[in-house]
Amino acid sequence: MAGSTPTISKENFFRIHFAAIRRADATGLPPYRKTLMKIHKMLTIAAVATLTASCAPGSTSAPAAQPSGPVQTGAPAEKVTLSLVSTPESGAAIKAIITAFQAKHPNITINYTDTNYDDYNKSLNLSLTSDQAPDIALLNSVGTTVKDGLVRNLAAYEKAYGWDKAYPSTQLAQWRVAADGSTLGSGDLYAAPAGFSIVGVYYNKAKAAKLGITAPPATPADFEAALAKAKAAGELPLQLGNAQGHASFTVQLIGQSQDGAENAAKWTFGQKGASFDTAGNRSGAQKLLDWAQKGYLPKDANGVDLQGAATKFIKGEGVFFIDGNWDAAKIGDGLKAEAGFFAFPGAKATAIGTSVAYAISAKSKSPDAAAAFLDFLHSPEASAEEFKAGFMPADPAAAKPETGTVMADIAAAWTKVNTDDGLVGFNNNATATMNDKLTAATQELIGGKNDPAGFITAIQDEWAKTHG
Amino acid sequence: MADTAVLPAHRAGRETALRPRRRRRGRLTPLLYVLPALVFYAAFVIVPWLHSLWISLWEWNGIGVATWAGLANYIEVFADPALRSSLLHAFGFIVFYSVLPIGIGLVLAALVAATPWKAMPLIRTILFLPQVLPLVAVGVIWKWIYSADGPLGLDSSWLGDFTLAYPAVGLVGTWVSTGLCFLLLLSGIGKIEPSLYEAAKVEGCGPIREFWHVTVPGLRKEIAVAATVTVIAALASFDVVYVMTGGGPGYTTMVPGVQIYQLVFTAGRVGTACALATVLSLLTCAVMYGLNRLTRER
Repeated sequence: MAGSTPTISKENFFRIHFAAIRRADATGLPPYRKTLMKIHKMLTIAAVATLTASCAPGSTSAPAAQPSGPVQTGAPAEKVTLSLVSTPESGAAIKAIITAFQAKHPNITINYTDTNYDDYNKSLNLSLTSDQAPDIALLNSVGTTVKDGLVRNLAAYEKAYGWDKAYPSTQLAQWRVAADGSTLGSGDLYAAPAGFSIVGVYYNKAKAAKLGITAPPATPADFEAALAKAKAAGELPLQLGNAQGHASFTVQLIGQSQDGAENAAKWTFGQKGASFDTAGNRSGAQKLLDWAQKGYLPKDANGVDLQGAATKFIKGEGVFFIDGNWDAAKIGDGLKAEAGFFAFPGAKATAIGTSVAYAISAKSKSPDAAAAFLDFLHSPEASAEEFKAGFMPADPAAAKPETGTVMADIAAAWTKVNTDDGLVGFNNNATATMNDKLTAATQELIGGKNDPAGFITAIQDEWAKTHG
Repeated sequence: MADTAVLPAHRAGRETALRPRRRRRGRLTPLLYVLPALVFYAAFVIVPWLHSLWISLWEWNGIGVATWAGLANYIEVFADPALRSSLLHAFGFIVFYSVLPIGIGLVLAALVAATPWKAMPLIRTILFLPQVLPLVAVGVIWKWIYSADGPLGLDSSWLGDFTLAYPAVGLVGTWVSTGLCFLLLLSGIGKIEPSLYEAAKVEGCGPIREFWHVTVPGLRKEIAVAATVTVIAALASFDVVYVMTGGGPGYTTMVPGVQIYQLVFTAGRVGTACALATVLSLLTCAVMYGLNRLTRER
C-alpha cells in the first residue's frame, strides 16, 4: 500500500460498494447469494479500513525549505505577542529575562508557559508541529527538531547579530547542525544558548583537610591517590548514585582529561569516523571498575539515584562527589563553607557541560521579534539573571558569586574551563538512546556483569546505530 | 422465503409483506443493544489497535517522514536480545502476579472460611488495600522499603542488585494481587454447596484433603477470573517497574511496557515500539485463549 494511489477515489469506492449491498438487501435474494453478499460486505469493510489507513503515518513529505535571505535585526516597532515554552528549572532565569526585555521593548509581549522537564522533552516535538506551536522554545538537545524541520535555521540572524563573535566557539558548537540534520558541531546555528551547566567534582573540605588534602588534586593521579587516602582513613572516597546512569560522568571526565576536549567532542557531536574506543575512555571504564572493586564507590551505587547520592554527600557520606552545578544550591546549603568544587584535573581543565538554548519555531509568524529576544540572552542583564538562577553565563565575567561559597569555586572552575576551551557536551546526549544505553552499561560494569572492553564495544555499537 | 411459497396464496401475500421486516428487525434488535458499547470499543480499542498494527510496518520517529519497513520491526523484536528478554521477563512475572497470589489467596480464603473471625471486615480491608492504591504510589513506597535507608535495614539496596532486583520487583506484584485473589476466592467459597463439605467429613477427609478435593475444584471459575486479571496485569506491567528501577540494573527488570515507552518517547522508534506492542498483545491473547481452554468446565 506504501505510497501507491488507488485507481478510484475513496468516495467513489464507498458509493459503488455500499450501493451494491443495499440493492442486495432490498431485493430479497436467495440465501446463498445473501451469504455471498455478507462476505462481500465484510470484505468491503476491510477494504475501507485499509483505504482509510493507506497513508503512511506522519508527515507526507520532507519539511519545506526554509526562507533564506536578508533578515531584520533589532526589535520591530509594531505590537507583537510571542509565546515561549520552557521548563521550570530553566524558566526561573528566563522569566526574569523576559521582564527585562519587555521593559526595553514595551511593544513586545512574551507569554511564558512551562512544563516539567520529562514531559517537556517528550511533548516538545508534537507541540512544535501543532497549530498552536510556540514562537520560542527551550531546547535541551537538538534531537530530531532540525531533521524534521521544526525549528528555524538561524544562520542569517547569527550573521546579522554577530553571535559567532559574541560567544566562544565551543559554546555555540552544540547548536550547530550539519546538513544531514543529526551531526552536531558544525553547520548552521539553530538555537541561542541561555545559561550553561558544568559537571565537575564537589568535595567536602572538612573531610579532605582531615586527610591532609588542602588543595584540589592537580592531576588525575593525585585524584586517585586522594581516593586511596580516603579509603585508608575509613571514609567513603567517592559518592555515586548510578540508578539513572550518572557513573557515565566519571568515565567521560577521566576519558576526556586524557583524550583532550576537542577529540572527545567529536564523538559527542556524532562526527563521522569518531570512536568511543580511545585510550582515555578505556582507562575511564577500567578506573570505574577498579574503584568499584576497591570499595571507593558506595556498595549500592546502582540502587541510588543522583539526588539520593547528593543527599548522602551532604550528610557527610563521601569525600568527593561528581555532579553538576544544578545541585550547587542544595550542596551549598547542606555543607555551607565546607562545600568545595573543582574542574576535573588534567593537563588542561576539561568539564562536561551543555547549555540550555532557545530556538525559534519554524511556524513562528514573528521570527524577527523572536530573534531580537534571542540576541538579548547574552546581554549583561540576562547573564546576571542566569547566574542568579544557578546557570553559568556565556560571559564568565558576568558571574559574581559571594566569596568563600561553593558558587565561587564553580565560577572559578567555569572560567578555567573556558580559558582552556575544555567544555565537552554530555556523552549521554550523543544519540537519542545513549542515556539509556550508558545507564544500563555502567550498571553492568559496576555490577561486574561486563568488562571495560565489553562496555566500550556496547557504547560504540549504540553510537554507530545513529552515526555509523 | 422458500417456505412461504407453499402457503395458500391469500396468506402468502400477507406473510411476505410482514415477515422479512419483522425478521430483520428481530435480527438487528440485539445489535442495537450492544451498539453504544460496540462504537466505543471500536473507536478506542479496535481502531487504535489496527492503527498501531499499521504503524508497526513503518520506520517512523513519530513526527517526520515514515519509510516502509515491512516486517523488519518484527524481525528486530525477536532478534534483538534486549527486546526478547523483556518479553521473557513479562512472562516470568506471571509467577509473581498470578501463581503466588492465587496460591496464597486460596490458602488464606480456605482458612478464613473455616474459622469465621470477628475482625474479618478489617482483615479484608487491609488485604485489599494494595489494590486500591495507585501503582505509582506502590512503586515509590516499595522503592524506599528496598533501599538501604528503608525499614528492612538492608545493607544495600536490592533494586541495585543484579540477582535480587527482579524478584524484589516481582514480589511487589504479589503484594498487590494477593488481596484481589483472596477476596474473589473467599466469595467463591461461600457459594460451594455445604453438603459437599459434610459429605467429605463423613467420608473421613482431613482439612487438607477437603481443601484439595472440595474447595479447589469448587473454585474453578473464580480461579479462572483471578488468573485472567492477574496474568494480564503481569504481561502489561509498567508502572511499578518504571518507578522502581526503570528496567535496571542493566536490563534485568526490563519489561515490554517500559521498553515500548522508551522506544516511543526517547528513542523515537515508533514502528519498533508498535511491533513489540503487537507481539505482546498477540501473546497475551494466546495466553488468555489457553487459560480459557484450561479452566473451561467440561
